[in-house]
Order: sequence, then structure tokens, then C-alpha cells
Amino acid sequence: MNPMKIVVCVKQVPDTTEVQVDPQTGTLIRAGVPSILNPYDHFAVEKALELKAEHGAEVSVLTMGPPQAQAVLRLALALGADRAMLLSDRLFAGSDTWATSYALGRAIRKLGRTDLILCGQQAIDGDTAQVGPGIAQNLRIPQITFCDQVEIEDRQLKARHHIDDGHEIVQARLPVLCTMTPPQDYRPRHPSFPRVVQAMGKVLETWTALEIGAEPGMIGLKGSPTQVDRVYAPPQKEKGVVFTGTAAELAGRILDILQKENFLTP
Amino acid sequence: MIEIDSKCTGCSRCVPVCPFGVMHIVDKKAQVGEGCTLCGACVQVCSLEAVRITREEGPVDLSAHKGLWVVAQTLPLSRKGAKPRLRPVTHELLSAGRGLADGLKEELCAVLIGENAEGLCAELASYGADKVYLVEDAVLADYNTDTYAAALIALIAKHKPGVVLFGATCQGRDLAPRVAAEIHAGLTADCTGLSLKEGHLLQTRPAFGGNIMADILCTRKRPQMATVRPNVLKKAVPDPLRKAELVCEKIHIDEKMARVKVLERKLDAGHPGRKISEAQVVVSGGRGMRDKERFKVLEELAELLGGAVGASRAAVDMGLKPKSHQVGQSGTTVSPKLYMACGISGAIQHIVGMRSSDVIVAVNKDPNAAIFNVAKYGIVGDLHDILPKLVSLLKNSR
Amino acid sequence: MTGLDSIARGLMLDSLRDYAKRRLPYEELRRLDRENEFPADVLKELYDPEILGIHLLLIPQEYGGLGGSTFDIYRVCEALAHIDLGVATSVFATFLGSDPIRVGGTEEQRRFWLGKIAKERLLAAYGATEPDAGSDLVALSTRAAHVVKNGKIAGYRITGNKQWISNGGVADLAVILALAPGGPSWFVVEKGTEGFSANAHEDKHGIRLSNTCALALDDVFVPAENLIGGVEGQGLSQAQAVFGYTRLMVAAFGLGAGWEALETAIRYSRQRIQSGGPLSQKQGYMLKLIVPHAARLEAARAFIEDTAHRLDAGKHGLQTEGSIAKLAATEAGNRAAEDAIQALGGYGYTKDFPVEKIKRDVKITCIYEGTSEMMEMTVCRGRWQEHLKSRGTYYEEQAAALDRLHASCPTVGADSAALALRALNKILEECRLQRLTRHQHVTMRLGEYIAQAETCAAFCRAASADHYSETVRFDAQTWQALCRIHARETAADICLKGAKLVLGAGAMNPGFADALGLGAILAKQAGALEDQELAMKKLAESFRSR
Repeated sequence: MNPMKIVVCVKQVPDTTEVQVDPQTGTLIRAGVPSILNPYDHFAVEKALELKAEHGAEVSVLTMGPPQAQAVLRLALALGADRAMLLSDRLFAGSDTWATSYALGRAIRKLGRTDLILCGQQAIDGDTAQVGPGIAQNLRIPQITFCDQVEIEDRQLKARHHIDDGHEIVQARLPVLCTMTPPQDYRPRHPSFPRVVQAMGKVLETWTALEIGAEPGMIGLKGSPTQVDRVYAPPQKEKGVVFTGTAAELAGRILDILQKENFLTP
Repeated sequence: MIEIDSKCTGCSRCVPVCPFGVMHIVDKKAQVGEGCTLCGACVQVCSLEAVRITREEGPVDLSAHKGLWVVAQTLPLSRKGAKPRLRPVTHELLSAGRGLADGLKEELCAVLIGENAEGLCAELASYGADKVYLVEDAVLADYNTDTYAAALIALIAKHKPGVVLFGATCQGRDLAPRVAAEIHAGLTADCTGLSLKEGHLLQTRPAFGGNIMADILCTRKRPQMATVRPNVLKKAVPDPLRKAELVCEKIHIDEKMARVKVLERKLDAGHPGRKISEAQVVVSGGRGMRDKERFKVLEELAELLGGAVGASRAAVDMGLKPKSHQVGQSGTTVSPKLYMACGISGAIQHIVGMRSSDVIVAVNKDPNAAIFNVAKYGIVGDLHDILPKLVSLLKNSR
Repeated sequence: MTGLDSIARGLMLDSLRDYAKRRLPYEELRRLDRENEFPADVLKELYDPEILGIHLLLIPQEYGGLGGSTFDIYRVCEALAHIDLGVATSVFATFLGSDPIRVGGTEEQRRFWLGKIAKERLLAAYGATEPDAGSDLVALSTRAAHVVKNGKIAGYRITGNKQWISNGGVADLAVILALAPGGPSWFVVEKGTEGFSANAHEDKHGIRLSNTCALALDDVFVPAENLIGGVEGQGLSQAQAVFGYTRLMVAAFGLGAGWEALETAIRYSRQRIQSGGPLSQKQGYMLKLIVPHAARLEAARAFIEDTAHRLDAGKHGLQTEGSIAKLAATEAGNRAAEDAIQALGGYGYTKDFPVEKIKRDVKITCIYEGTSEMMEMTVCRGRWQEHLKSRGTYYEEQAAALDRLHASCPTVGADSAALALRALNKILEECRLQRLTRHQHVTMRLGEYIAQAETCAAFCRAASADHYSETVRFDAQTWQALCRIHARETAADICLKGAKLVLGAGAMNPGFADALGLGAILAKQAGALEDQELAMKKLAESFRSR
């Protein structure tokens, strides 16, 4: 039997924990903010490599972005992915989640038979969680969102995923798309120096819109139904009152507040 | 297209503000590299108006699409054949949707998919629905991505709504993008505000970890779709006398369509009032609680106030509380009547998850903590001294 | 050297930082520092090719390494210094200990020893310094005597003492400089060789995580094949050959440690509220304690990178450049750390904050691999020759180049830098005419001015480039402002201090004072405050409080 083929969709994002907003203009101050592999995607890459170690598989990583997004592909290659594809084309500029899902879907079709697609649940810059399901629909394959565990047996995928009030163990026949969400104590793994150098020799292709056969009306601004009207800093609430004093006074103060705001009615 | 015209002096103000780092100064002129998403941050800072974004606006007939839809969500069934109950976000969406529908002078419709769900129609009406589209089938008793998506896609194709809203729950965020992908509709994720702008739905959402807000429009496509974060929009007082037109839709959903099978389902224990997302009072602790032992005073306080216990990300990382109690961008968003933040400094990731609470009381020994910027009442002092005293005061007042 | 590309470099640095974040949080570093403990397990992990494999970067690919370029190694050194200078020193000692083999070894020796270091993850030590021979290696007293068997030299017996040897007590092998009958030569001595022992770990002011010992060699036998290069008398030239390179690495240490201290101070300044606003918005604080250091450190960075690129392009030696880089960067780092303590006030003086440790650690960079004073002498000696050889046009030509740069890019202060170089040129010429370099003080001060002027020129070139180096974390507006600040300062410093120096040592020649261009230099000071305020704002924005 042919080895399993796994595609992981990843994104390069600014490290949002380092991002700040200029309170006057409401714009992001991006200077010095490092670009990283979206942590959810990092987890997805690691999961794919675990499956590869267990069952044998060819793991491809795919991203759409500017040429510098190669960095996250190289990271995935250094971690152990086999090949990487960068979708890069000015025609993709302005893509929203719809157009992004479409383009990634086209690229995966170009790759041929794929058994499993893993995506991070969401990217920390946009937090939309829409691209994974969008790709699944484009490829017309089933999806399992918010997974923290996946295993494969006899071409059946079994996953544990979060639902609104708990979690489920679900099962589906390959091909499937899973969006991955790391457990609480997850720490992304980083490659050693020799692995980084090894990755320099692995295949990293760049594909244009034409090469994936994307229709011009479906990508970039034209293919994107949504537009950003305005970005601004989150509004600050009006400053409240601040109390100081001894511990006993302050405890009494809180009790007064609770009474005044009617939280002590039994 | 984004264009830089000759007015540009290469002042470089637009370079650092670009969220994607694609602005460069080349030969004293701004130049846009690949990866531009046309977000417009550069346009806002250019005092010379040298940066322009032009969007191709083709004439699109949007008038065929009418009505504002809310996709109702129900709680998971406790047992087979049990009566379904609406998830609170449905009430919130209908409450907000009512005002929007009035503004548009269109109908507010609820879409109810499930089994034995007809009994919920009156409740949907009481929160403002003019019409309820009911799709009932034994296959639809439990949520399944494939079957629900198929039903909804069919319904939208038939009735052509102008707006479709979902709760940004796991379920809503699983379903909505699947539907939007199919019908080439615009979808905005996890909105925290909805309003109207020139007849279009203006969708407000945080991005970049809550550091920034964005207003999103979808002017050329219909329906306009959005998932809306629970516990943010205000629930209206239901009017039990309101009536809605019931439209039963016969949509055939094949059982085989459901490609993902549930083998096992585990629902979180604990009664719902003590879940932070639904509690009226949330007492949260942060890094300042120091250790598990000292965190216990918050449990006691929450018990006395009839509330739930929350935690900041720092407290969760320190192992003081499980992740399910985490309030904030990467945890749960809450908007209780009372939010008490104890030993929480107020990182933006936390603030976005609790700022819409009615009354915020913050206790922190650092008078400059950012949490005081959002607190109605700020208490500057050592919580390890104050809280035990408060607990005994509360006990005595009973 | 081909080395890595910027993406690979970035990934390695991320891996290194992530490792440090997990394994060496400040509390752990503080404990090791307090207990004067060498973290042997950390070094093992740093060398583990499955975890990091950091030592492989300095070993050429043909010997099982990764063949990092000078630029790559500078970046890793800088990142190590951000983590801990003691750990950095221990890693660096292996770099240093393998250098004589890499540079002077025979093909067979390189294959054997470098392959062994790569594969067996050996810690190495560099044994040059002696109790009575510090930076001045000519006073060497360790002897290597021939051991003759069957009429052939079968090996050497080495006797002597080595002082201040990093990794001395923990290294698996050391390279030892000793005086053989044919002159100073390097020998490889393995741990455990009879007669070879290490004294107790020194109780140092800083870099207490790094193992530093005196080594004793008592009639230690090494076989003839351990003579590096196979020919006696090559030792000093082998040592000299790598100075340009090794001093650049110490420069990177000063840069990294200095920036770490400065970053801590900036982050602190955003949190600390004084009379109604954060310190980061207080001009009196930021313009004194933060901004000048950022400018100096970034100028040193520009010079280090320029030198690294030249070495990677195949330039040999560059001893003067290595010395300029080391002098500029380590002194800037030391001063930055000093002021970082001041910036944190009482907190800075406690061990609860890392700046106190950084200050103790970074001091060593002004001492080892040649003290700052040695650097001043070396720099002056090197450039004095150029000045004489060029008949006083060496700096004039560079000034003219800066004038051209200013014409095409007027925003980096290259006009001030040109004035600085012209003033320097006049001072050198005046020293020549009055034969003032017979005073040691004059030579060493000239060394200082030369280093300052050349880093200033390098900064102007870097800040006016179309594409900035991957290492620049500021936007063009900020970097150019820092460059202008540095250029103005340099012009004024050289002109005023140089004039003082010449007049103090010699006579006033008519026309000398006018030729320095003081008027023009003072005129260029216009706008200095505005630039500093801009830099202050941008620096505060670039490092958010944690």
C-alpha cells in the first residue's frame, strides 16, 4: 500500500503577545515584533510527524503568504516534514478567509491524493478558525474541528475534539481534515542546529495562482467577500474609583459596594 | 489595488504600522511588498493621503436577499428523546437581531434544526423572531457538521436571506465556515458587536490577540454571515405575547451524509450556574494569588456570592486552576453582572474576556495595574489580608 | 565560508532562545551564579545534536560540523550573551580551543581532532595565558622539550603553568601554547594525561557559571603528532591569525549582554510610574540612561557586521578591525549595564533583577581576549601605519566617501561622521608632526578615538543601506536617528578630546585648532535633542513590559 499522505496547512503570524497598539492612531506597532509559526499550526505539524513516526507517511506543509513566509516552512521541514509548498503571488493579496480556503484547497488538489489534512484551529493574528472548515468544504471532505488527539487505524481516523460543553471521541474514514488545538501545557518543540541545516536541502516549492489553477475571481480581493472597513484601538472604559486604606477598611469598602450594587440580596 | 502616488515623501510613518510588515521605503518612496491584505492601516497614518486603496465595485443586485436570520443552537441532549433547550447565545442573537432587522425594515427569522424542536418556537418568538424556519428530522437530533451544513445551505439557497448569524460557539464556528465556503458568502468570525452601515451589516471583532479592533463589511455578496461571541450582546427581556410565523421546511437529509460518527461524548460535570460562561457572578484570581492554598479564599468568596471561580492565564499557567476556568482571549469570554478580579494585573488578553461585565471590582496591590483601567471599583491593597476579612464580613452579614 | 542563510540562522536562534527559556530561567541562573556552579548538564545539552548541537556550527562541514560563517557565529554569540555570559564563555572556549587546530592544523589533525570534537561533543580549552604572560604572549615561559627515540622526535615533554583558562577544569582537551626548541608552538593535550592537572575553580566577580582554572603541566608527555601544524615555531602566527575573528566574538558578547541589560531597563521604565507617568516618558531619565547606550551599541553592531562580512568574503587577519569591534562593543556593553543598574534604582542594586549580574558578567568582556587597553594599543598601532603609509590621506579618503554618502542619503548624519574623521585625521597628523606618539597615553587615546570614529562611519554606511541587516529590530526612522545621535557625539568627542590631548602633550601650532572644524561640528549639533526624543519614544515602544 502507498504510504499515507498528510498535508499540514500553516501560517506565519506576528507574535501577538509582543504586539502593541499606538493609542493615538489605533494602529499596530509592529517594529521588532517577531514572526512565528502560528502555535496552533506548530502543534498540527508535530501531530503529523507523530503519525508519520507511527505509521509512515509523507508529510507536506503548505502555506500562503509573502516570500518571507518560507521561514515557517523551513521550521516545519527542520522538525521533520518532507516537503513544503509556498503559495505566493501578488494575485493572492487581500484574500480573506474565503479566498484563502479556496486557494489552499486548490493547492491540495494539485498535490494529488491526500489522506489527512491538519490545520491549526485558528491563527493567533486573526483568531477566525474559518480556514480549516473552508478547505474541507472546498475539498468536500469531512472535518473534525478543535481536536487535541488524533490516531489512525486501518484508514479510520479517531479523534478527540472539544465541543461546547465537553468533548467527544469521533471517528471518520480518511480522507479527513482536522483542526488542531494544543493541550494546556503544550510547548512548541524546536529543531536542533543540524536539523535546521538538513532542512536547507529539502524541497521547498513556490506556487503561483496560475500553477494551482485558481480562478482569478476566486482569489485575492476579488474573491474575498469581506472587507476591512476600519481598524482601531479597543475603547478604554471610563476610569472608575480607586480606594486605598487598611485591609479592614478595604474589606468593608467591598462589602458596601456589593450592597450598593445589589449583589447581596439572598 | 493599493497605490502610492507621487505625493509620498518617504517619511516612513506607514512602515511600522503595517500589520504584515510589507511596507518598505525604497528610493524615498513607500513601496508595498507581497502579502498586503489591503487592511488600510497605512492609509490611516498617511497625512499626505499618498496611499490609496481602490476596490473594484461591480454593480451587484443585492435586493434579492432579504431577512435577517439567526441560526438557533440548542444544548446537547441529556438523554435520547429529551426535550431540546436553547443555548443562551440564541437569545442574545435574537435580541440584537431584532434591532438590526427593524433598522433594515426586514424580517427577523430564526432557523431551528433538530428533532422534537417545535416546542422552542414560542421562546424564539418571545425574543423577537418574526418567523421560524423549522427543519425537523430524526437524523438531525444531534449536531453533525455534514447534515446541518446541508440543511442550512439548502435553506439559504431557497429563501435568500440578507444576513445569517451564528453563535461563535464550537458548533457555530464548525458550521458557519463550511456553509460560507459553499455559497461564496462573506463570513466574519467571533464578532463582539453588530450594527448597520448604509444598509450593510457592520461587524466588529477583535484581532491580534485583542490588541486591535476591526470593523468588517461585506458589500458585494449576500448573505452577510457572522459568528458572534457568546456573552457579549445583551439579552432582551422576553415578551411572551409575541407570536412568530412557523414555517416547517421539508428538507431530506440522508443519514449517510453524516461522515463523522460520535463514539463517545463526555459533558463537563458541574451545575450550569457555576460555569463561568453562564454565572452571574465571577470571582477570578491571577498571578497575585501565588499558590493553590491561597487561591481557596476565592472559592469561598464565590460560594458566598453564588458565583463561579475564574482565573487569568497566568494563574492557569501556574496550575492554580484548570484551563476550563480561564477567562480571556485564549479562554472563555464572560459578561456576568459582577466580576471580581483578584491579583490580576490586567493583560489585554484578559481584559478582552471580561470587559463587558456590568460591574468590575478589582483588588490589586499595584496601584498602576492595568486592571484598574476597566474596573468600576478599584481596591488597592494586599488581597491576602483583605479577602479573608471580606469573607468573614460576608458570613456575618448572613 | 558559505554558512547559513538568514532563515536557518533565525531558526537556530529561536531554538537556542527557547532552550534557554525552558532550561535557564533567571532563578536558575541566579542559583548557579550564587553557588559558583558550572552547569555541566546544560553544556552537554547545548552540544547534543538532537537538542541543539551548537558546537557543530564552528566545525567545517567536511569534518562533521555545520560550517557556520563568521556572521552565523557572531549571531549565536550575541544570543548566548543575552542568555548568560558564563554559559556563552564556556561555549566560546571550545570555539577558541579548536581554533588553532582549525587554522594551523594539518589536514590529518583537523580531520581527527575537529571530527572528534564534533562527534564526541568535547569541551575544549584554550591555554595561552600564563601568570606572567597575559595579553602579551611573547613572555611565554611554558616549555616543550623534545623526546627523542631512535634518532627521531617522538614527542614533547611540556612543563609550565597556565592561568585564567576558561573550561580549564572541565575540558576534555586543551590546546597549550608552549615554547618548543623551534619557537612557540601549540600542542593538543587531552584530559587525564599524566602530569596535567587543573587547580580549583576561581571565585570570580562575574561569569561565575563559567569554569575558570589555572592549569599545571608537570613534565606532560604528548606524542609528536599533537604538535599543531607539525612544524615548531608557528604558535604566535597561528594565535594572531584568529584574533580578528575571536575578538569579534567577544565583541558580540559585549553587544548581547549590553542590549540585554538595556532591554531590561527599557521594559522596567515602561512600568515604573514616577510623578504621574512612566519613566519611559521622562526625558531626563531616558536621554541619560538609555538612548546614548542604544546608539553606541548599534554603532558597534554595524562595525561587527561589517567586519564579519569581510572575514566571510575571505579577508584574512583583520586584527585591527577585530580589536576596534571588541573595544567599541565591550566598552559600550559595560557602560550600558552600569547604567541599567542606575535605571532600575534600588531594584537594580538587588539580585532580584538580572541587571546586577549582567553588570558583573559583562566586565569580563573588557578584559579577556585582550584588555581594552591592549585593544587601544593594537588599534592605534594598526591605523598609525596606515596614516603614515598613506601620507595622511587614509581618513581623508574615508571622510570624502562619507560626504558622498551624505549627498545621497542625508538622514544618517554622515556629514557629522565626515567631520569626525577629518578631525581625527588632523589630530593624527599633528601627533606625527610633534612626534607625540612617544607618549603611551597619547597612543592609547588615539586608539580610542579611532575605534569611535570607525564605528561611527560603519553605522552611517549601514543605516543608509537600502536593506537593513536581519539583526536590526528598529525601523529606518529609529535606526537613522540613533545613527545621527552617535555621529554628532563622535564628532564632538574626537574634536574636543583630541584637541585637549594634543595641546596637553605638545605645543599649539598655528592653524591646528581651526583645522579641526569645531565650528562646523558644533553647527551639526542642531536637532540633537529632537533626535534623542524620537529615539526615546521608539525605544520604549520596541520593548513592551512583561
